[in-house]
Amino acid sequence: MVSLDLATLSVRDANAQLRTLGEAGEDVEILNPDARHHIGVGLTAPIHVTVQGSAGYFCAGLTDQAQFNVSHNVGWGVGDNMYSGSVVVGGNAGAIPGVAIRGAEIVIKGNMGSRAGQVMKAGTLCCAGNANFMAGYMMYGGTIIILGDSGERVGEDMSGGRIFVAGKVQDLGSDAMLTDLDQKEIESIHEFLDRYGSKAPKGFSKIVSAGKKLRYGTPETPMRSIPFNTFSGHSAYWNPKVQEDIAIKAQSGRYRIRGYGGARPLPHLSDIGFRKDLTDAGTHRDVVAKVRMETEIGGINGARPLKLSMPVMIAPMSYGALSRSTKYAIAMGSAMSGIAENTGEGGMSDAQRDAAGQLIFQCLGGRLGWNIHDMRRADALEIYISQGAKPGLGGQLMAKKVTPELAQIRGIPAGIDLRSPSRHPDILGADDLVIKVEEFREATGYQVPVSVKLGAGRIRDDIKIASKDGFDFVELDGMQGSTGAGSAEVIDNVGIPTLPAIIEAVEALEEINARDKIQLVLMGGLRDGIDAVKALCLGADAVAFGTSVIVAGGCISCMQCHIGQCVTGIATQDPAHEKRYQPEVEASNIHRFLESVRWQIAAITQALGYDDVTSLNREDLVALTPEAADITGLPCEPPGSDASQRQVGVVS
Amino acid sequence: MCGIAGVMYRGGDKDFSTGEALIRMLDGCQHRGPDSTGFALYAPEAPGRLKLRFFIDPASESDDESAIAAIRQRLVDLGAAIEEEARAGDNYRVTIRYDGDVQKLSYEMEHAAKVISIGTSLEIVKDVGSAHDVDDRYHVNEFHGTHGLGHVRLATESDVKPEASHPFWATGFADVAIVHNGQITNYWKMRRRLEQRGFEFTTDNDSELIAVYLADKLAQGVKLQDALSTSIDDLDGTFSFLVSTGDEIGYAKDRLAAKPMIMYEDDELVAIASEEVSLNRLFPGRALNTREPAPGTYATWSRST
Repeated sequence: MVSLDLATLSVRDANAQLRTLGEAGEDVEILNPDARHHIGVGLTAPIHVTVQGSAGYFCAGLTDQAQFNVSHNVGWGVGDNMYSGSVVVGGNAGAIPGVAIRGAEIVIKGNMGSRAGQVMKAGTLCCAGNANFMAGYMMYGGTIIILGDSGERVGEDMSGGRIFVAGKVQDLGSDAMLTDLDQKEIESIHEFLDRYGSKAPKGFSKIVSAGKKLRYGTPETPMRSIPFNTFSGHSAYWNPKVQEDIAIKAQSGRYRIRGYGGARPLPHLSDIGFRKDLTDAGTHRDVVAKVRMETEIGGINGARPLKLSMPVMIAPMSYGALSRSTKYAIAMGSAMSGIAENTGEGGMSDAQRDAAGQLIFQCLGGRLGWNIHDMRRADALEIYISQGAKPGLGGQLMAKKVTPELAQIRGIPAGIDLRSPSRHPDILGADDLVIKVEEFREATGYQVPVSVKLGAGRIRDDIKIASKDGFDFVELDGMQGSTGAGSAEVIDNVGIPTLPAIIEAVEALEEINARDKIQLVLMGGLRDGIDAVKALCLGADAVAFGTSVIVAGGCISCMQCHIGQCVTGIATQDPAHEKRYQPEVEASNIHRFLESVRWQIAAITQALGYDDVTSLNREDLVALTPEAADITGLPCEPPGSDASQRQVGVVS
Repeated sequence: MCGIAGVMYRGGDKDFSTGEALIRMLDGCQHRGPDSTGFALYAPEAPGRLKLRFFIDPASESDDESAIAAIRQRLVDLGAAIEEEARAGDNYRVTIRYDGDVQKLSYEMEHAAKVISIGTSLEIVKDVGSAHDVDDRYHVNEFHGTHGLGHVRLATESDVKPEASHPFWATGFADVAIVHNGQITNYWKMRRRLEQRGFEFTTDNDSELIAVYLADKLAQGVKLQDALSTSIDDLDGTFSFLVSTGDEIGYAKDRLAAKPMIMYEDDELVAIASEEVSLNRLFPGRALNTREPAPGTYATWSRST
């Protein structure tokens, strides 16, 4: 047994030693913990850790196999996302004990705080005392045993798993119901309690999902889809898409769900032009070799940066919304072009990891597929706060796409209409977020960049918070970004467009003198290298492409992504459809598209008079419409003026 | 978005090192708010005297001496007799004898200068930077008293400047201060109703509202615990806040418990903080039997009990 004394050692140093001792199989005792956060975070060895005193937030978080014993209390999120192993807490636990666990055993001898076991998938959380409100909130699986009273709204919106309460069931949550226990369950509870030296009470109430909210009541009537480009605010008031919407809602009685991005015309990068005459752009042979485009993202606070061959990456899109083959093709295509791919929600696969040169691993509120092992093999981490297409809302994945295989990876019941949580269990404000960022850094030894994805909303405040909370980079997503499934009303009416988003983000950072303290990656309806150069001129350090990469890889823009029967095999989990998709062929198509982007960036940069993309700046741009001028503060030189004559579309 | 802390020592009017205790507690949770730090410190009152603190803006065009002279003059005009005065950091601190209406004095002085606090026993010290930065500038560690509150702030929606930091003094009411973690969403609605009744607000910060709301109730003769009880119904949003008066300290927590709060109590003291790590700073190396206040609850402690 080795003793680590936190009176003289920082948690960061202690955790580094814990990992080494873990590999050596040495048990550890932590002295003078004094309720400090992140004790034991990221430990993946089967050792015993005894904490003599109280631990703070995320004790034993993001671990696998280790066994923890805390003599006194723990703060929020004990055992966060544990895969296996155990934690025994001698005293009380703060809010969200056992949050997002995937198989560990957590025993609290005292009382536990609110939202115990939120979004847990498997394993057992046991509390010898009373639980606070919403125990089992949005749990997907596993077992919660409460020997005292349940607290209010127990089992709120649970979609799987079981909650056993020995004391009083104060109040059932939405879509939770009482049911009978069978003998086998009683025996297994007794066996569990025996193992942890707790006395089994006489009887239990059992709470499970009532199942009324797992599926949408009325499915949407399938209709022949109206293509993306035949409707918009420019067409007639009662255009075919409006009629279709009304007809479908007359059947379903609820909001519509669709894929793809907003269809409303909004000021965008196409309303921006270049100040200079670009007639000669691209006339140089080998222009790509003449412009420096290599870009490092994420190294600003000392982590290992992403090394991009050009200031471009792939936008986060989930395995779930997209088929496994599509994610595989994008990984290959991005690697061929030397840029980074992003897992999106729903976990990382070996094939994707192997194929992608550099891979960003995305963490969402549901923690679907999130785990310490994949965090370690990621090249960057990303905390998703919201998304441009549907800020403030979680992802939606219709039952057709929630196959047993996909459900297993995410840790959820198969065949439900999955509505991912819109909020993180442990990020209720900027003050919590800073503790979360630190947990991720501890778990990955401060080696992996940590970023935040923000749907453009309250940009000025949010960007400042991102900078203060110590993120390495922000992925800022404007309203024109797409989604695999979202409410049509939200997609077209809620977000803030990409153009004002980048302007406000840059201004916000300048206001607090933090422009060099965090990097900005802009996404949301960027289509090609021309858009990319404009974004770089406006202050982005890099851009990300989502929809254009999907289109390059075979998407026909039918907007039926949510249905799950994508004819191209992209937005589907049905093997019959997926087999139409040829990952190797589409990877080459994606690669060729990305190379056209590279060529465009190089050609325009050179025509603007530079040999390095970092030289691009606002002075290179003009606004082509009064609205774009208002938004950007650029001089307005509308079509018909000299400036508009100068602007050319550079074609590769 | 912040961390809060409060401490009250039992044992009447004895002097305790409350400044040092709060510095330690806030240093323990500084990660929750790196932008600014503040303290509300209570010492036994001196009868008939009021302690006032003002910001003297170092960036202002007029020089400090003339700004202070103007404050002095205004106080004398309002019938105050100046007894003691001092400069501390960017503050001007003055003790006066005054037997008029404190609310009138407060508003008049607020119109003439930036008032930080007015009290018979309360003094507020707050500025940008960490607990140790503020201590270096204002020597908070030398402060002895009976109880106090502290706050570390991460500015989310308003500017990083001393006057936007906590604790908030209940403008117009001597000796009432609060620290708040969270966000009051019916701020404007509540503020307009209080303004209708003649109250003035000196910032657009939602936390100032809590202070004025509670002080108004106290001035009407409502007990602090009853004012806290109605605050849980009347205030919308997320909050864990601490309030202090000349002889009481109390907390209230919203029903969603979105903002953490944990407390420790023994024969010597009551201490409350956002995180246990702050409480442990008072007792290094000791595992504490702490308690998490339940959602939607409030409580008060009095110096005399």
